[in-house]
Amino acid sequence: MKYTKEIVSTLIIILITFLLAAILIIVAKYDPGIALRSFFYGIFGSLHGFAEIMVRATPLILAGLGVSVAFSTGFFNIGAEGQLYMGAIAITFVGVFLPPMPPMLHIAVAILAGFLLGGIWAVIPGFLKAKYGVSEIITTIMFNYIAINIVGILVRTVLKNTESALPYSPVMPKSLSFPLLLYPTRLHGGLILALACAVLIYIIMKKTTIGYELRVVGFNKRAGTCSGISVYKNIVLASLISGGLAGLAGVSEIAGVHHRLLEGISPGYGYIAIIVALMGRNHPVGVIISAIGLSALQVGANSMQRQAGIPTSITSVLMGVIVLLALGKNIMFSGILKKMRIK
Amino acid sequence: MPNLQLKDIFKEFPGVIANDNISLTVEKGEIHALLGENGAGKTTLMNILYGIYTKDSGIIIWKDEEVSFKSPRDAIESGIGMVHQHFMLVPILSVAQNITLGIKDKGYPFNNKKKVIKDITELSKKYGLQVDPTQLISKLSVGTRQRVEILKSLYRNAELLILDEPTAVLTPQETNNFFEILKKLKKEGHSVIIITHRIPEVIKITDKVTILKDGKNVATVKTSETNENELSNYMIGRSLKTFSSREEVIESEDNGLVLEHVGLNKKLKTLTDISFQVKKGEIFGIAGVDGNGQKELAEVIAGIRKPDSGTILITGKNMNRTNFKTRKKAGLAYITDDRHHEGLVLDMNISENMILKDYDQKPFSKKGIINYNVVRAKTEQRIKDYDIRTPGIKTPIRLLSGGNQQKVIIARELAAGPSVVLACQPTRGLDIGATEFVRQILIDKRNEGLSILLISADLEEIVSICDRIAVIFEGRIIGIVKNGTDLDLNKIGLMMAGHKRETVGL
Repeated sequence: MKYTKEIVSTLIIILITFLLAAILIIVAKYDPGIALRSFFYGIFGSLHGFAEIMVRATPLILAGLGVSVAFSTGFFNIGAEGQLYMGAIAITFVGVFLPPMPPMLHIAVAILAGFLLGGIWAVIPGFLKAKYGVSEIITTIMFNYIAINIVGILVRTVLKNTESALPYSPVMPKSLSFPLLLYPTRLHGGLILALACAVLIYIIMKKTTIGYELRVVGFNKRAGTCSGISVYKNIVLASLISGGLAGLAGVSEIAGVHHRLLEGISPGYGYIAIIVALMGRNHPVGVIISAIGLSALQVGANSMQRQAGIPTSITSVLMGVIVLLALGKNIMFSGILKKMRIK
Repeated sequence: MPNLQLKDIFKEFPGVIANDNISLTVEKGEIHALLGENGAGKTTLMNILYGIYTKDSGIIIWKDEEVSFKSPRDAIESGIGMVHQHFMLVPILSVAQNITLGIKDKGYPFNNKKKVIKDITELSKKYGLQVDPTQLISKLSVGTRQRVEILKSLYRNAELLILDEPTAVLTPQETNNFFEILKKLKKEGHSVIIITHRIPEVIKITDKVTILKDGKNVATVKTSETNENELSNYMIGRSLKTFSSREEVIESEDNGLVLEHVGLNKKLKTLTDISFQVKKGEIFGIAGVDGNGQKELAEVIAGIRKPDSGTILITGKNMNRTNFKTRKKAGLAYITDDRHHEGLVLDMNISENMILKDYDQKPFSKKGIINYNVVRAKTEQRIKDYDIRTPGIKTPIRLLSGGNQQKVIIARELAAGPSVVLACQPTRGLDIGATEFVRQILIDKRNEGLSILLISADLEEIVSICDRIAVIFEGRIIGIVKNGTDLDLNKIGLMMAGHKRETVGL
């Protein structure tokens, strides 16, 4: 079976994660039984829980897709967080400064602007890497700080809502909101955008010559050069697509959740997106599954905190462990898999 | 009493049995050949002896004692030395520093440099291994580096030397010199194991031969009681094929490939003033010791590097300012010497690798969409045509043997119907069957009227299939000679060492 190994090692990861969670909860002197019940209640207990998972998964899918395209091309984009904020800035500018438009057109313009601004934010490090060999890991991380602080400046100056003392932008016009999909929950149309992007990325990466070139460059730059494939062009292109998708995550957060620009709209979605891409093996379907899985973990943890008083910081610990296990699973579990005779 | 005894050594790697109960004995003062194709298990067996791999079962007896080395350090301390195919020397250090690397002598870390140099000089005199201990490794020729490697083992009092493919990188003169060294070692009572797949050398220098095939011990014979044919039968199950491409000479004045005064990197003189023409229906060979500019020459012709000066014409068209894709369209096929890094994308499957050079051409893609039905059909066709052994077209290319990987490359490169074939070390690392296959294809294509440029460090290969031979040395063409039955290999060897054609009398 092609996927047996993957499935078994994923199950092992989940098992270890739960065991570790139980240990942490017991050490912190809480009741693991109540914790477990409230965790699962938060996830499966209500329609609201389901919707909340999807709301959180939406930016993770978009940014995770972006990171996965970059990773597939050998461009280690750690800057999805900053690119997300640039996308959020773009839609806010569209809402504040452009004249009123019909809803569909307005959203389309915002999406385009968000993609471009997020893309540009990644293309600069992409260009620096392709042309001068500057480490994109450093530059993209630094660009995160710049982007986050640009938001801080903008909401206090150019984009500030003059009617309030707080550092907010004005509320976006109605035509710039995603429709709600499951009233009265917060589930919004951004999810459809995210899923559509996943399909699109799948087609581009697997079916087109563009995707073929990107993957060749990701696997083996030298072989690309020797076959007449431009490494430079493909790294810049990958960074554009990657940053653009992360930018869409920002657009989606404004148009679907916050409806105005403010500081801290992302609780680290851009960073979690890296985990999403790694766990999803850079495959669009894998990205969707791991994005939903990780947001379920967070929603469940929130519920644990509300009902059993257990701090959500446990999830941060668990997420770190999951990354280590996911990255090292082939080596760590090879013995177990061998014993179970799974190849 | 044998010095070294290996009994029933067994080693399994995931999916393959590399050594299937192999036994071997080596006497004191014996030169023992370990003969077999690539992948027969020769190097694995020696790596087990040397402590790099651990055996699954079996016994090693070294000087009447059962041993099991946990690392090369253990082996070295017991008097076993190994010279790897790819030398393990630090280029920026001197000969003496390399030889004493890792040795904690009296006074460490303040070694007595004078004594070390004196010792090395004595050793090198004793065995006829001339080197200057103060010279930097990076300044030395490949042959000299090999001498340094042997000295390194002798300095550590090695009584048994394992040499992995020692003649692969040497010129004919250097090889003869190397054989003299072996004889001296033998006279001084050292045992030597040579890992090789070159039968003539086995006949020439060794006392005993152990032949391995597919991880099994096929036979052990005394060299004096065997001949080339018998060894070849043991090794590949049949006699070696001989090529004679010169049977039907197609006279043509048209040139497929022309280089005029091509130069690369004036400062380092990587390539200087290279001029030659490859006619249609001709195999033009570039002979030379590795690292004399062959790789760079191939890349300049393929359009991967840009030359500083000169002109390159492919089928009459000036290609100076073009990249590989344009040159391919003009009729160039490029078989690279580095399958793993340049010719293939190891993480992709066979069909994806099959379209690496023409994924953006019809019929494989239209308007940017790849038609995988066509890709699959063409791949299956080529797997059949070239007899590529693979479980399926979705198999990652990484899992194929070197010979089958090379077949994928050749099938892909020749598919577009090229008029010029640039083959850079096309048989390097291949087993005998695959090597013969590649050479036959080059000859067939020549007979179809293609221009073929064969760059190879293997002089036998050049001589057996080329029509004309150019010798490259330090980025210059030393001379061009016509191949023929009367060609003196020793003279080509001298040219490979930098002697001008006129001075060697060709």
